Amino acid sequence: MILNEIANEFDQCIKCGLCLATCPVGKTLFLEKYTPRGKVQLAKRYAAGDLEISEHYRDIFAKCLLCGACTVTCPSGVDQKTVFLAMREEIVKKQGLHPNVEAAVTSLLVNHNISDEDNSERGDWRDDIRDLPEHMYEKERADVVYFVGCVASFFPMVQSIPRNMVRILQLASVDFAILAGEEWCCGFPLIGAGAPGEMKALMDHNLEKVKALGAREVAFSCPSCYRTWKEHYPTDLKLSHSTQVIERLIKEGPISLGELRETVTYHDPCDLGRNAGVFDAPREILRSIPGLTFVELASNRNQSICCGGGGNLEMADAALSGRIAQNKIEEVRQTGADIVVTACQQCVRTIKGKVRREKLDLDVVDITDMVVRSISHG
Amino acid sequence: MISDTIKNEIRGIVGDEWFLDSPEDLITYSYDGFLPEFMPDAVIVPGDRDEIASVMKVANRERINIIPRAAGTNICGSSVARKGGIILAFHRLNRIIEIDPESRCAVVQPGVVNAELQKAVAAYGLMYPPDPASMFVSTIGGNVALNAGGPRGVKYGVTRDYLLGLEVVLPSGEIIRTGGKTLKNVSGYDLTRLMCGSEGTLGIFTEIILRLVPLSPAKATLQAIYADLDDAATTVSAIIGAGIVPTTLELIDRTVLDVISNYGDAQFSDKAQALLLIEVDGEDILVEAQGKRIEAFCKERGAFQVERASTPEEADRLWQARRTAFGAVASLRPNCIVEDATVPVKMLPAMIRKIVEIAEKYHIQIGVLAHAGDGNLHPLFMTDLRDKEEMERVDKALVELVEAAIAMGGTLSGEHGIGIAKDRFMSMEFSQTSIDLMRGIKKVFDPNNILNPGSFL
Repeated sequence: MILNEIANEFDQCIKCGLCLATCPVGKTLFLEKYTPRGKVQLAKRYAAGDLEISEHYRDIFAKCLLCGACTVTCPSGVDQKTVFLAMREEIVKKQGLHPNVEAAVTSLLVNHNISDEDNSERGDWRDDIRDLPEHMYEKERADVVYFVGCVASFFPMVQSIPRNMVRILQLASVDFAILAGEEWCCGFPLIGAGAPGEMKALMDHNLEKVKALGAREVAFSCPSCYRTWKEHYPTDLKLSHSTQVIERLIKEGPISLGELRETVTYHDPCDLGRNAGVFDAPREILRSIPGLTFVELASNRNQSICCGGGGNLEMADAALSGRIAQNKIEEVRQTGADIVVTACQQCVRTIKGKVRREKLDLDVVDITDMVVRSISHG
Repeated sequence: MISDTIKNEIRGIVGDEWFLDSPEDLITYSYDGFLPEFMPDAVIVPGDRDEIASVMKVANRERINIIPRAAGTNICGSSVARKGGIILAFHRLNRIIEIDPESRCAVVQPGVVNAELQKAVAAYGLMYPPDPASMFVSTIGGNVALNAGGPRGVKYGVTRDYLLGLEVVLPSGEIIRTGGKTLKNVSGYDLTRLMCGSEGTLGIFTEIILRLVPLSPAKATLQAIYADLDDAATTVSAIIGAGIVPTTLELIDRTVLDVISNYGDAQFSDKAQALLLIEVDGEDILVEAQGKRIEAFCKERGAFQVERASTPEEADRLWQARRTAFGAVASLRPNCIVEDATVPVKMLPAMIRKIVEIAEKYHIQIGVLAHAGDGNLHPLFMTDLRDKEEMERVDKALVELVEAAIAMGGTLSGEHGIGIAKDRFMSMEFSQTSIDLMRGIKKVFDPNNILNPGSFL
């Protein structure tokens, strides 16, 4: 059992409870079983044979954003996230996939994306681009492959992200290509679903397609794709998040930014900030925009609070995800900013979705939106 | 075991959603921050005072144990069902009822998190001083039940010093009020303070009135490192002797400095034997002057490295070692027992030397963090519960340590409480007559011994 390998993690837990301070799920649902300390103890007791995996047990472990806030809070260095992922994997082995996630995973394995659509429609976000080049960004060779990711490819609310991204890369004369229908899901949702064993085919395919283009770099606008490649893909290719690419292009000069008289705050996506260590690039970009006033959220960088969109929670418990998004909106309000900028399509979807449902007046944008707005004013 | 009929009666009071008895729930309420675990028979999360009163009536009638538990961060085992029973959790009683800046007090429900209250009163230019290390998680109810302290205790005292009044549900289900919003109150026995530190054995707090103080406009933060522990100790005496009341006066010993260095967060010189972290707060002119004097005291008394922060960021950096200390120590071995023996301030160096001696004698690793300004030591026993042989040595060392503290005129616990961690040592500090008196008090409040039995007395 995988749990034996990570037994050290829960043996290291001293039950101090400090992780309760930063867990968005625990703080929303109160009960100890939903807190990181509670879950670590449940994993420990399961591994000790004191407890069976029940539906209740599965539900507890599904109520986690995998945001990693507990891991950075823990004074004794327990890697809770590893424990929780191992538990999800164990639960799948014993009970099968979570009913709310099963359809998505099955479809993913067939269609190679997280939507219900055929993967040939992965490039449809290009349809609205006015000056679309003839190659439609699909090339034989390219320096950089822009890995768009499933959510930004298929969900209309965030399809502006790839459109922005290609515009920026084009303006900067970067030699780039996309894989379009040949881009497959990076495998990230499978990790959260407790089925990481199914990732290999996806990884092999993506790596082969990127190599075929002779690319030296892969760029991602999705922090979770970026992180999954960094942690799981066996490759020496340079892997960059869009914020890192854009920061570079601003510094090197090919992009010039125009004035924007706005007050913005920035939400660190968990998988970009805390879980991949990219904190400065997005801030540098915002500081480069003339006229822009940038205010930090009360909890920022490593301490950033998840928007509610992580860990497949939206599939397992949409209402809970929404309540956590509401807390994020409150935190944004406290800053007085009119715009919350993030660097993740899933964060945009989660926060903006809540803003729309509640008919609130708050602009939620991806950082590529800000950059394009700024370029248009240049 | 509690019969289904009784369970249903209690379920009827708190509602289905808030009566928990699944294995998953029982396991996650079987522990707190201390070591031993006990499975409760059920967990309830009542929504208001009246539900608690109704539950207590049933519990008293049926002789069912009730164990109040808030965030479960205490490290003396005062919120586990040692003798079975129902855990009463305060998660839903988490409202700040009132902040009254004119009367300088706040009225809160027991489940309000300490740091949330601090944040809320800061908006009024006020401060709630007790700052236990668990303050971002632990609740005011738990703080009152354990009479929690914290690093600011040197100047500001502990929870007891800020507690003005309580609403309490008694084991009988009757509701009483003690104290009030007045800053002075000498009427009758001081039931409020009797409740404070009673570790859930006398009554259940449902409303708490707290005194607040003005938020200090400025502070100075210093760090001094010594090659000789005695020099650090004489610095402490010099500061206090000069009439300066520091907000915080923390000491870290050689063992802990080594662990922090290995942890990778900070590096200390090989000759470092002790580190003092000193903070003063108040009006800016005063703080500036005191900061300079303390800096001079440290240097005159042999500190080989003294730093005085001039920005909040620098202050934060100086706090880093203290903040990291516990985590660094805790991650070294699977378990960490945090001792809390407290001695008169001037006995601190003698006590630290005794601890070093005990560690050598029993071949165990003990680091020392101390709130040096009030003689409150936190010897950290780095150990592994699974190692029976080592645990026997740890136990002997614990006994010897506690005996030494008492012999120096100290106490079993400065701020962590007795619970099930130290109940066996009570007779070291108290005569049989004193213990009988406490048992008598317990009996008056709780004749059927249903509130947190097996803890403390």
